[in-house]
Order: sequence, then C-alpha cells, then structure tokens
Amino acid sequence: MSAITIEKSSKKKSDVVGKLQVFTRKSIAIIVFFILWEVLPQIGVINSQFIPPVSEIVVYLGKMLADGDLLIHVQASFIRALEGFALAVLVGTPLGFLLGGWFKKFEELLDPLLQVLSQINPFTLFPIFMLFFGIGEVAKVAIIFWTSIWSVLFQTINGVKNIDPVILKGAKAMATPKFSLFYKIVLPGAAPLIFAGLKNAVGTSFLMLIAAEMIGASKGLGWLILNAQVNYNIDRLYAAAVVIAALGLGMKKLLTVIENLVITWKEDSSNM
Amino acid sequence: MSGENTVLKENVFVNEKEKRTGVHNNVNSKKNKKEIKILAKNITRTFTVKNRGEKGVKEFTAIKDINLEIREGEFITIVGPSGCGKSTFLDILSGLSKPTSGELYIDGKLVTGPALDRGIVLQGYALFPWRNVRKNIEYGLELKKVPKKERKEISQEFIDLVGLNGFEDRYIHELSGGMRQRVAIARSLAYNPSVLLMDEPFAAVDAQTRETMQEELLRIWEKTNKTIIFITHSIDEAIFLADRVVVLSANPGMVKEIIDIDLPRPRKLGDVKNSPDFNWLSHKVWELLHNVEGNEKTKVINENRDIAEEISPTVDL
Repeated sequence: MSAITIEKSSKKKSDVVGKLQVFTRKSIAIIVFFILWEVLPQIGVINSQFIPPVSEIVVYLGKMLADGDLLIHVQASFIRALEGFALAVLVGTPLGFLLGGWFKKFEELLDPLLQVLSQINPFTLFPIFMLFFGIGEVAKVAIIFWTSIWSVLFQTINGVKNIDPVILKGAKAMATPKFSLFYKIVLPGAAPLIFAGLKNAVGTSFLMLIAAEMIGASKGLGWLILNAQVNYNIDRLYAAAVVIAALGLGMKKLLTVIENLVITWKEDSSNM
Repeated sequence: MSGENTVLKENVFVNEKEKRTGVHNNVNSKKNKKEIKILAKNITRTFTVKNRGEKGVKEFTAIKDINLEIREGEFITIVGPSGCGKSTFLDILSGLSKPTSGELYIDGKLVTGPALDRGIVLQGYALFPWRNVRKNIEYGLELKKVPKKERKEISQEFIDLVGLNGFEDRYIHELSGGMRQRVAIARSLAYNPSVLLMDEPFAAVDAQTRETMQEELLRIWEKTNKTIIFITHSIDEAIFLADRVVVLSANPGMVKEIIDIDLPRPRKLGDVKNSPDFNWLSHKVWELLHNVEGNEKTKVINENRDIAEEISPTVDL
C-alpha cells in the first residue's frame, strides 16, 4: 500500500516537472522571437522606423491602456467578434446536427453547395454584404458570422456522422428514446469534433474582425490599425496587432479549457 | 478413418433425418417443462439488393423459415457458416429489424421493436467512451428512470459480479479488451432483462481471455438464470456453453439441426474439452457445417458487397 502511494506522489512530481519542461520547450521559439525583435532594431540591423523594438510597443500599449483608449477599442472589437461567433454557433451546431444525423439524404444533396459557399473568399463578398447591411454593425457581425459558421457546421456534421455505428446500434437495441438518443449519445459522441470546429471558428472570427472593421468603423482594433496606417503611427499599428493576436489566442485557450472540462474521457495528449 | 467413426456418421445422419421431419423433440431435458420464453415462427428476412451494373433489383433471402422454441433459462448458441444470417436473426430478436414474414414472440407477446426486456452484447462492445465503467453500466437504468441512489447500488452489484472492482471510474479507453467485454455484459445485465442476446461477444479478445470469459459467462448465467442466445462461429465455444446448439445452413440461412448438449454442469473448460462426448459433439457440428459449403460459397462471395450494405447499412438516427 505504502509503496503504491510513494509511487503515486513521485509520479505527480515528475508530472509537474514534465509539464514545466514541455512549457519551456514550447516557449523557446517565442522567447527567441521577442529577443530578436528587441535587439535587432536596437543595434540597427532592422530599421526601427518600420519595426520598432518590442519594448517601445509595450510602453505604447501601457500608455494606451492608461488613458483608457485601448479598452474602448478592445471592447468594441470583442463584442463584434463574439456576436458573430455566437451567431455562427447558434446556427451552425443545430444545423449540423440536423444535416449530419436526421436529414442525411438532404445533406448529401446540400453538401456540394455548402462546400462551394464555404470556399468563397469572404473579402469578395464585402460589397454584397455592404449592399445588404450597409456599413454599420450588422454588416460587420454578418461578415464574421459568414466566415466562422463553416467550420462549426462542417465539424458538427462530421462529428455526428463519425459516431461509431455500433454504439448507435447498441443504444437503439436498448430502446433509447429519441430525445435521450440525442443528448446521451449524439451530443457527447460529436462533442470532440464540435469543439475542434469551435476553436477553428473563434480563430477565423478574430481574423475577419479586423477586415470587417476596416469598412467604415469609428472604433475597434481594425479601425485602430487603419487609423495608424493613415497617420503613419507605427507604434500604434504594432500595438493593435499584438492585442488582436493576444485576444484570438486567449479565446482559443479559453475554449480549450472549457473543452477539457467537458470532454473528460479523452486520452491525455498534452505530453505528446 | 476408423470403423467407429463411420458408425458415428450414420448416427448423425439418422439424427438429422429425425429432426427434419418435425419439431425438435427434446426428450431428456428437464427444461422441457419450463415455459417457452421465445418463440420464433417461420421467420424469413429478405433484402432487396441493387444489381450492380445492371438495372433492377433482386431479392436476397438472408434467413428463411426459422422456427425456434427457446425455454426460460436456456442457453442457446447459434453457429453457422459466414453469411448464414446469424446477425440478421439476432437483429430481429433484438427488435432492431423486422422479419419480412413470420412472427417472434417473447413471453407470448409479439415483438414489435427494441425493449429493455432483452439485453444485448454486440460484437464491437458498443460501449460509450464518454461514460466511465459505472456510468456505462447504469445506462439502461437511467432509461428506466431508476433513482440515482438505487442505480448506484445496482451498478455496484454488477461491477462485483463481473469482477471490475477498482475500475469503476475508468473510462473505456483505459480498459483492456476483456475488461471492456465485462463492462458490456454488466451493462446488458444491469437493467435486469430476462433475455440476453450476444453477438459473437468474445470474437475480438485473445484466446486466453476468451476461455476465461466463457467460464465467467457460465457462472453469471447460473447465478442470474437468464435466457441466453449466443451467436458464435466457434464450434467449441458453442458446445461448451450451450444447452442446445442451433446449426444454421447458409444462403438462405435455415435451421439445419438443433443439437442437445447434455454435458454435465457446472462445466469446467479443462474437463469438458477433453471428454469424448465433447469431441463427438464437436465433430458432429463440424460435419453439419461443412457439407453445405463448397457449392454455394463462390456465389456468396460474388454478391457479398452489395448484400452487406443492405443487411447492415449505416445506422440511421
């Protein structure tokens, strides 16, 4: 008994050490990148007029944060991205369940069309979106919705389709009622792929956000970049870019955390 | 071949004739007095198969005129060459598929669909990877709306029965094949069905585990007194487990013969497998299985793909 507990505690310790090792290994590239970003402009290898050292940008960010400027833009952008993303999830997942599970024949008919639509470059659709929705909030949210719905939809369809038919057969042989079949079997069965779709969608939604905000916005991070470009404020441009990247990454991380809380049954692959 | 063997062969032949003339007569079994649990009457299942390359469809008969009486508490195994419709028959028993003609009665009631009066153990385990061992076992109880506390007591009972103590909170991917099969058996027993349907449950586990599982299953059966219908392609397994072995012929699947297995119980694999009775029975089943094949086999293979898609299509929700 005691031998087992000792083994367990030592295993825990080595787990922590292992995770730290993985963390440092994964961080090295980023750290080196930041160091180069700081040093190269300082020593003049890179023209600091175009690429200012990272410390300058951090200082600028601090200044923006202090006078409350940054928060307004982040808030505006965040709400837009979230609205578009939430809308994509609200429409994409139920539609995916219906097409993947209950209307398979219809999905077969619809699939080619969906594939074509999803491949349309969203930038080319800007004029059309503007025609329909103007240049206000609706147009921006619509663009984000349009670009992020596809991975949600396709991954949900895949998730439902990929549920092991033997599992479905077993559940049906146990006379599982229709509603139970959905939330006890189909929902958890499709969950891993749905999460993959959500993570992908959140990434695209932040990507498209910037482009969307360049059409007639008066605030937001995308506008900030456009504004910086027009006014030749390089610090501001980089500051906005860094914030956008951090936001997108943060959202993805948040989804991963939620995923790990929901999907507890998957093999731990974090060390692989 | 010795002279003794030929005598045996003739014996088989006589037996076969006898059986074919009418309903199976079970003289020496005590279970005769017990009530009939499952009654299959002239069950036929045909599938329409698209002709590949040509226009039109054609009929394929998977099983034809299956008549079977299964008594309460009986252990029946079904063997047959591949493509004899064993799984089709089990699908009908489970209620997942309906016979084209004929009726199936359980406890005198016509079967119209799946229900929790039958437990099922499928070939690929069919366990839910998102549930741990305990939750998997409790699944049927949840459907039956058994209160949580009671559920836990019952699941514990079956965890003990199949010997999975200490693994209650494990997820399926953390278990070995044999353990998964134990979970599948416990799950099918937990909601207390009176009939247990098993479709080649031990086909995927290694030989050693398989033998242990066979003895375990017999022990569980003796303890729970379920009526078990067990499909297998292993002759030895069929004889070791069963009260009666149903031998099917292929294309279409028909009952070729039903053989009583009067080996004494409780059975231990080591003792039974070396007994002359066992060898004799095993040889008999082997012969029954082998004199139909050959002439039909090539035909089956040619049509296999289309038929397989028809028989077990991708499951719809």
